[in-house]
Amino acid sequence: MSIIAVPSMGNGGLNDQMSPRFGRCVSFTFVEIENSDIKAVKTVPNPAANAMGGAGVQATQIIGNNGANAVIVGFLGPNAASGLNALNLEIFQAPNQAMTIKEVINLYLEGKLQKIASSNVASHYGMGGGRGMGGGRGMGGGRGMGGGRGMGRGNQL
Amino acid sequence: MNHKNPKIICITGGKGGTGKTLCAVNLAVMFKNEGNKVLLIDGDVENPNTYLLLNGKLENKKDVPFFKPKIIEDKCSKCGLCSQNCLSNALLHVKDAFPIPMLTLCSGCQLCYKICPENAIEADSKTIGWIYSTNVNGLSLLLGELKPSEARSAAIVEALLEKIEDIIEKEPNKFDIIILDTAPGAHCDVELLIADADIVIPITEPTKFGKLDLIRIMELIKLLGKESRVIVNRSSLLGFREQFLNELKRESIEILGDIPLDSDIVESYCQGTPIMEKNSKFNREGVGYIAFTKIYDNLKKWLEIPT
Repeated sequence: MSIIAVPSMGNGGLNDQMSPRFGRCVSFTFVEIENSDIKAVKTVPNPAANAMGGAGVQATQIIGNNGANAVIVGFLGPNAASGLNALNLEIFQAPNQAMTIKEVINLYLEGKLQKIASSNVASHYGMGGGRGMGGGRGMGGGRGMGGGRGMGRGNQL
Repeated sequence: MNHKNPKIICITGGKGGTGKTLCAVNLAVMFKNEGNKVLLIDGDVENPNTYLLLNGKLENKKDVPFFKPKIIEDKCSKCGLCSQNCLSNALLHVKDAFPIPMLTLCSGCQLCYKICPENAIEADSKTIGWIYSTNVNGLSLLLGELKPSEARSAAIVEALLEKIEDIIEKEPNKFDIIILDTAPGAHCDVELLIADADIVIPITEPTKFGKLDLIRIMELIKLLGKESRVIVNRSSLLGFREQFLNELKRESIEILGDIPLDSDIVESYCQGTPIMEKNSKFNREGVGYIAFTKIYDNLKKWLEIPT
């Protein structure tokens, strides 16, 4: 049995859209998997969505407190990455495109998601108003999510 | 004018590359030439380089420590109080586990250390930079350096100010004049140094950039309630001297003096021998030399030091 956490755009659940933002997503969907089957789904709101700083650490605490073994991320900042690493959680990279939680979980079950160890964007990357991933690079050739600052208005500090 | 000893003069200026260090060093040298005991502080902790203009060396390196929480696992009850109260979210805590300090987020406030009910957080420290002290040709130099990749430059400036305070408290007559050379900008490092000074001398140049950045630093100086007079460096640049001095007058900015472009100054800068050093080889009749002499006289009048 393993529990996979996925940042979600709205109220969470398998049919919600996956959020490209980790620390500042609206909620987390926790998907419990046993023998490649989805056993249970629960949603936890992310109080760090509008935090000034350290959102990645707060979000990591929610992941840890809900017993997840792995997370699937779009963009991941450095503090969140070191937090997830400190908790020995596996981190998987989602493709850079809009998809539902269910779609991304299916990719995970098919073994199509790449495991990553470090952050792929700078601190505060996901702050500000914007939505959607924009200007993407796609997963392809093992480069992951680099480049392409497509997140709307960015840092508003 | 404040008559306390020593007199603290802050050289600043908003824009980078206007000649702050050049002026700080040569003013220090001129005070020293007349038998004053002078301490020069390099407060540009991200790029300390005053010693180069004096042909000095960095000596007597001392670490600047910064608070770092250390979790004593034998005492920690994993209650999470530290994590819940950390305003910087710098303590990662999940249930039934020890909190994990995230040092890049830690502001060093020590709240966790103070509130832990089990006294399970120890005040450990990490080095975020260094302070050097040296003596060049009868001039005392104190210099702060921020460790590359560290963020808290103001903590290094604070360490410099503590050192000054310590000297003044223990040996009030050790120095007659203290000159503070700041970083460019109008940020907290600069603010700390201006706040500590008796008078402030912003250095500018007759360009749009110089004027814009000067107005920003003047706002900060005004906010801190300090007296200031400006030095216009490279004042002969493109023939803008009169126009620029008039513009400053219209803004009610007082001027201490101006320094025209001068090859002797450039040479002294490149060689690391201050043009105003007593035994320097530079021409006493040169425009740069005369300009510095005038500025020094004006400064002494301003400080009410008998000439």
